[in-house]
Amino acid sequence: QNTVRGKITDQKGAPVPGASITVKGTNTGTNTGMDGSFAIPASKGAVLVISSVTFAVKEVTVGDDNAILNIQLAAAATDLNEVVVIGYGTQRKEAVTGSVASIGGEKMREVPTPNISQALQGRLPGVDIAQTSTQPGATMQIRIRGTRSLTGDNNPLIVLDGIPFIGSLADINPNDIKSIDVLKDASATAIYGSRGANGVILVTTDKGAKNRKPRVSYSGYVGAQKVFAKYPMMNGPQFVALRKAAGQYTNGQDEADSVNTDWQDLLYQTGIVTDHNISVSGGSETGSYNFGGGYYNNQGVIPTQQYKRYTVRGSLDQGVGQYVRVGLTTNTNYNQTQGSQVGLYNTLSMTPISSPYNADGTLRRGVRMIADNQYVYTKDVVKNLTNNDQWVNETRGFATYNSVYGEIKAPFITGLKYRMNLGLDYVQTNNGAYTGAGVGDALNPTTPSSASVDSRNTVHYTLENLLTYDRTIGKHAINAVALYSAEQLRYVRTNMAARDIPADAFQFYNLGQAAGQITVDPANQDYQLSGLKSAMGRIMYSYDNKYMISATLRSDGSSRLAPGHKWHTYPAISAGWNLANESFIQSLDIFNTLKLRAGYGETSNQAIAPYSTLGKLDTRPYNFGSSYSTGLYVTQLPNPNLGWEFSKTFNFGLDFSILKNRLSGTIEYYITKTEGVLFGQTLPPTSGVTSITGNIGTTQNKGFELGLNGVILDNVNGFTWDAGINFYVNKNKLTSLASGQTRDEANWWFVGHNINAIFDYQRVGLWQKDDAYLNTLEPGGNIGMIKVKYTGGYKSDGTPERAIGSADRQIMDVDPDWQGGFNTHVAYKGFDLGVVGFYRHGGILFSTIHGASGYLNLLSGRRNNINVDYWTPDNPNAKYPKPGGIVSSDNPKYGSTLSYFDGSFMKIRTITLGYDFNQSLLKKSNIKLRMYATVQNPFVMFSPFHKESGLDPETNSYGNQNVSSTGAISSNTGLLNRLLTVGYNTPSTRNYILGANLTF
Amino acid sequence: CAMLLFTRCKKVLEEEPRSTYTPDFFKTEKGVLGGITSQYAHLRLIYGQPYYYNTLETGTDEYTYASSADQNFKDVDLSGVGNLTAASSRSDALWGTAFSNINTASGIIENGGAVPTISAALLAEARFFRAFDYFLLVQTFGGVPLDLGAGELKFNISASRKSVRNTVPEVYTKAVFPDLLQAINDLPDAPRVTGGVTKNVARLYLAKAYLTYGWWLQNPNNIPTYPAANRTDPDNHDAAWYFQKAYDIAVQGISNPGSYGLESTFYDVHVGGNDRGKEEMLYADHTQDNEFYNGACLSCFDSESGNGRNGATWMVTFNYTGIRSAPNPTGDGAGVSPVQREAAQSLGRPYTRMCPTIGAITNTFAEKTLDSRYDGTFTTVFRGNWPKGGTTNATLYNANDMPVTPGQPILSFLNDESLTPGITYPSGASFPGKSSNAIGAGVLPGRADFVISPRGISRIVFPNLWKIGEYRTDNGTGLGQPNATSTRPFKIAKFSEFYFIAAEAAVKGATPVAGKSARELINVIRARAGKWKFSNKDNAAFVADNSAAMTAATPAVIDIPYILAERSREYFGEGMRWFDLVRTQTWSDIAGTYDICAATYGSHTPQTVTRTIDKKYYLRPIPQAQLDGMDATADEKAAYQNPGYQ
Repeated sequence: QNTVRGKITDQKGAPVPGASITVKGTNTGTNTGMDGSFAIPASKGAVLVISSVTFAVKEVTVGDDNAILNIQLAAAATDLNEVVVIGYGTQRKEAVTGSVASIGGEKMREVPTPNISQALQGRLPGVDIAQTSTQPGATMQIRIRGTRSLTGDNNPLIVLDGIPFIGSLADINPNDIKSIDVLKDASATAIYGSRGANGVILVTTDKGAKNRKPRVSYSGYVGAQKVFAKYPMMNGPQFVALRKAAGQYTNGQDEADSVNTDWQDLLYQTGIVTDHNISVSGGSETGSYNFGGGYYNNQGVIPTQQYKRYTVRGSLDQGVGQYVRVGLTTNTNYNQTQGSQVGLYNTLSMTPISSPYNADGTLRRGVRMIADNQYVYTKDVVKNLTNNDQWVNETRGFATYNSVYGEIKAPFITGLKYRMNLGLDYVQTNNGAYTGAGVGDALNPTTPSSASVDSRNTVHYTLENLLTYDRTIGKHAINAVALYSAEQLRYVRTNMAARDIPADAFQFYNLGQAAGQITVDPANQDYQLSGLKSAMGRIMYSYDNKYMISATLRSDGSSRLAPGHKWHTYPAISAGWNLANESFIQSLDIFNTLKLRAGYGETSNQAIAPYSTLGKLDTRPYNFGSSYSTGLYVTQLPNPNLGWEFSKTFNFGLDFSILKNRLSGTIEYYITKTEGVLFGQTLPPTSGVTSITGNIGTTQNKGFELGLNGVILDNVNGFTWDAGINFYVNKNKLTSLASGQTRDEANWWFVGHNINAIFDYQRVGLWQKDDAYLNTLEPGGNIGMIKVKYTGGYKSDGTPERAIGSADRQIMDVDPDWQGGFNTHVAYKGFDLGVVGFYRHGGILFSTIHGASGYLNLLSGRRNNINVDYWTPDNPNAKYPKPGGIVSSDNPKYGSTLSYFDGSFMKIRTITLGYDFNQSLLKKSNIKLRMYATVQNPFVMFSPFHKESGLDPETNSYGNQNVSSTGAISSNTGLLNRLLTVGYNTPSTRNYILGANLTF
Repeated sequence: CAMLLFTRCKKVLEEEPRSTYTPDFFKTEKGVLGGITSQYAHLRLIYGQPYYYNTLETGTDEYTYASSADQNFKDVDLSGVGNLTAASSRSDALWGTAFSNINTASGIIENGGAVPTISAALLAEARFFRAFDYFLLVQTFGGVPLDLGAGELKFNISASRKSVRNTVPEVYTKAVFPDLLQAINDLPDAPRVTGGVTKNVARLYLAKAYLTYGWWLQNPNNIPTYPAANRTDPDNHDAAWYFQKAYDIAVQGISNPGSYGLESTFYDVHVGGNDRGKEEMLYADHTQDNEFYNGACLSCFDSESGNGRNGATWMVTFNYTGIRSAPNPTGDGAGVSPVQREAAQSLGRPYTRMCPTIGAITNTFAEKTLDSRYDGTFTTVFRGNWPKGGTTNATLYNANDMPVTPGQPILSFLNDESLTPGITYPSGASFPGKSSNAIGAGVLPGRADFVISPRGISRIVFPNLWKIGEYRTDNGTGLGQPNATSTRPFKIAKFSEFYFIAAEAAVKGATPVAGKSARELINVIRARAGKWKFSNKDNAAFVADNSAAMTAATPAVIDIPYILAERSREYFGEGMRWFDLVRTQTWSDIAGTYDICAATYGSHTPQTVTRTIDKKYYLRPIPQAQLDGMDATADEKAAYQNPGYQ
């Protein structure tokens, strides 16, 4: 055994002190001295592993002679030289002046999910991702730095491999992702102009690498899904007690006090989730390729609910001669969603004192409760109906997103390039639904069958002409881009429904065979054609890596806006100062990075539906006896002045890293003011029209974001421990409304409050026996009813002046006070343990199942009820009102106030334990293998809602979904569509996953 | 867009909708016709809407709230169980529908004249409905705005969030009367479409509007109006002039019936299948034959309201499915539901939201054997239908453990109190040890059906309103589709009302023509009421002509209370009552108290309930949605609201 000597240097040749050197597979190790030199005993052929915090780990095989090894380390992936995608180009992270948050594909995949948005939840500061449904294949709602627009679109722009992406994020396979970069402030998004007002998510998929032999990668996992928590319905004895306490309903024909059935147990199953991906990549000297395919399948906990996806992807990049490059990227998927017709309301509301079986042991079709007849849905019933072609709902999606480019370098001017991008997308979804005769109808087994088909397709093209100039001359680095682009999107929807299909086997495949009526409802057909033309210029300049400036100007013309208001131009500018490169900071020897950034930019939003400026007539079908006619009436007024809604954002940022890059972070502060907010305003009935879309009002988002990453243990006795945390605050408020008004009660908009405010009574408790003025404040009320805040005056004798009424409604802000996420990772000898979680504090969690719109908390004993602590004379301190008391729309009066919970929670998203086989079995192999086990959704903490109900506090619906009636809170049901709620959707699950990643 | 690939590039920023109409379409012939169709279609959003229906019945002498009622019903009963406010008022169905329709009507009237193929007769249909809506509004809320944002009676296409209310006389004299006069002039004698409006329909509404305005000018009980207005007519006529005009036009309507007329029996007016008979002058149509044009599902477990659903009949249907009969001759064993939920005129979907007062059964319909109208109004006998629901028992054991077979009476509401001393009621829902009944009905010795006497009617068990009950022809041998809303048209106006309007005007001083005195007019109606064709109680044909006895029983002098009682017998539960009592300013006199038994099974002791009908209630509150949607200060909103509701 020899002693190997050497010196470790960085990219610039400077010595790297304190680097760790180990002999692979042994406990032998040492560190470099101040001059970067080291000495270690090692034999010929041994492998030295050199690692240091800011550099990539490097392995060097000890050669023949005893020559001194001079080893140069390359920057680690977290280094400043990391490249981020910024739209129409990339930039060294060091030079970025806007607000960009990035995450690599590997890191993102720590949360194994079929959807990027699920994996990103809680990972990036300022990016609020909320669940909108728990059904297999569902997508999420993404808000970057809050909500800006009142009725316009608040969704960020997704850009897939450089082309604006019109599809669903579910169409992108997370396994294909190389990196995700989120542009948050206007100075960064301005290049996308009107598309960028709500932030931009740049998704980059894996490409091949030049000069590499073909490499095959496989990744996959299988898992089981268990219901996270059953909906907390009453059991038999609890329900009997409630029905007795309410005193309103006797037992129905099929109910008996002695029965105790858990209808949820009879329905739920263990779900299965499977994911397989394979790809091949490689490259020659002049080109590279990467192609692959994937399969994902999730059979949900509700029988027959299923989501399947097949993906195919390819990218090719090829140089032609010295000056020309061409390339193409294609992402195509076929997906299938089934079983969405199986809802939960019947199961949850079915009384537990009814049995699914007749006296002779056969299964009942339906249960006759006292006021309802409900069909019996059990696992077997649902599966048999589907297997027998009697009950199906299937959505087949096909989407293909393609882009090709050609690039020509100017032969005589160094750094000048012309590029043309052409994006061509086609997205199609076809839904078919069939309900056989009598299915779902407990009363009438001969109810005619029904079938429907719905077809939607979108064709989208983007054409971009780009001229770029990129050159570094001495200390001057300059990058300039000019863009001229056009895009157009055509959307067509066709829908048909029919009654009485003669044979179940036909399902929805031939509506023409229907014996009954065929309906083509004009409200369900659609055609939209919209276009956007743009011109943009951007210059980025940096001097000596210390001073950076970026300036953008963009003009957009949109077809959606009124003539004369179609075009808008907006500037953006940002600057950065790399303090760490200044000698006076370097001399402090504290900061590895220190950069100040500031930016201002304007962006705009055309996000109104096409044809909004033209006004609209709606249809009213009517029969004159047996002759039929369709009526027309005005629902939306034309607005010839409708123009752009635009946002102005200031952004200030600080990037730093200290302790030899062991602690790094970003702090940002921003303020976004949105003006000319597009507004689908509800008008008072006396105007004769329902609504008008106009530019009215302003909103503001102010926020603070902090992201920290640290290495806590850096290979201490083989242990490595790192952690990341992010924290952000976004204060959203309306700053003005039309014509100096401060309140718009019809639309629930109030100056100084969240756009997502609730306008309702405020529950302060229950009326008790000794409370005064019950009859004055609540005529017809009763002890044990919900007590809400009274804001009126009092007469001189202390009695209230009036009864409680609409003047007492309060404004309640829904947004959380602060939120964020965290992740931590411990590694030891090939084992690694990772935890990813997120949290939010404050705000309102809106549980429609507890409130009036769910019809699950009627407290009347009519149907089964959420198991709540209700008022009785012996239990006066309960939270929920007296059963059988004063009611409003079937629910306890003020029942909607029972929906509002403290929105705080912390949730562990995943815990993963992995093992890297290259540390042992495959030590010297070219084959790389990692296996892991993951638990998803293991714990919820600090959630008052979870504590009371046992349910997942994450939202699962919009306010108008998975409820029984939306009229319970407001007659304007549109208000609820913008709020995310916990409704009675498919229960959320806890998943147990086993996976493997293999590369050779 | 320099690219050769895309030749249409220069059009990228132009818009051409291809699947929806813009308001410009109203300038075409088909657009005007579509607008006129929606004038009819809007009736569905008002008539048959169960909560609005409730505001016209609950709180009157006809109906009160029933056991499953929520605040929608209790608030409007004014009996101390709720509080009628801007937020809780269900007159919002009218307010929220009428103005949009008025605006569309104005659009048709403004644009239609420029379309050469649109006749004056077609535009008169729009005029009729504009007047119709204003007449409903002014009766319900007092003065309402004539200017929706573009000027009085102009088509508004501006985003107006301000509103100013006109006075009652302005609404009548500027909107209701001129439009109806023009409509009478321009409309045809025979309807253009089934259920279309004609000269005579316009006459009926003008006569009624004159009569109502005459009462308003007279204001005998000093009921306040709002916005404040003197009780003088801008057109310088007095109340007597309007009563005379009401009489004259009503008589004109009777004398020129066109295609309208009285059915030969009261039964024929209401029996399912004859819903578009000659007596019906206006209705919100529905159909069982086409789900799309019906506007509501034909076979589903539907909700009661929204999108023009006709759910009114559910409200007045008690939960008869709670009745039990025994499977065993000994009266025990698991109770079987003998009367199951069926899409039949006598049954239908039970909601138990509104029940008739005892006084309605015992006083209004004191006469039940000569007068066919009690039997033609209520379901009083509930008959076994269990085989239709798949229950296989051939025989069930009912009252006194006596056997009953399908089709036999299970529960009967008796006509009077003559048998009451012999009735034994259980103390709760059932007799001890018996599985039958379960709804607290009584037994009479020797009778297999359970019985309840008129004074034993409660908020939880009461006769159903047969006349507006569900009627379907697609039940086959089963229970049909009781959970879908009614596919029958909701009837709004009948030819018979000409007689009542003329009679009322005559009582108020109009000079009658020969042969058409108040008594003679009322006797036309009463003579018809004496004619029987079918007995619902016995579910069998029953032919009788009691016309002579009926007219003989008519008092010599007809007064307003008698007309109101007669109107109630004729139009019970049809959404007329609140308007009648408000017009005649007799609401608090006639409906100030009522009797009903408590909302528990086995309760058969009537309680007298007192209503507090303050004068402010003669106007309904302006709905909260209007106030919320207005751009106005809190004080301005308070001033916009009717007095007493702020």
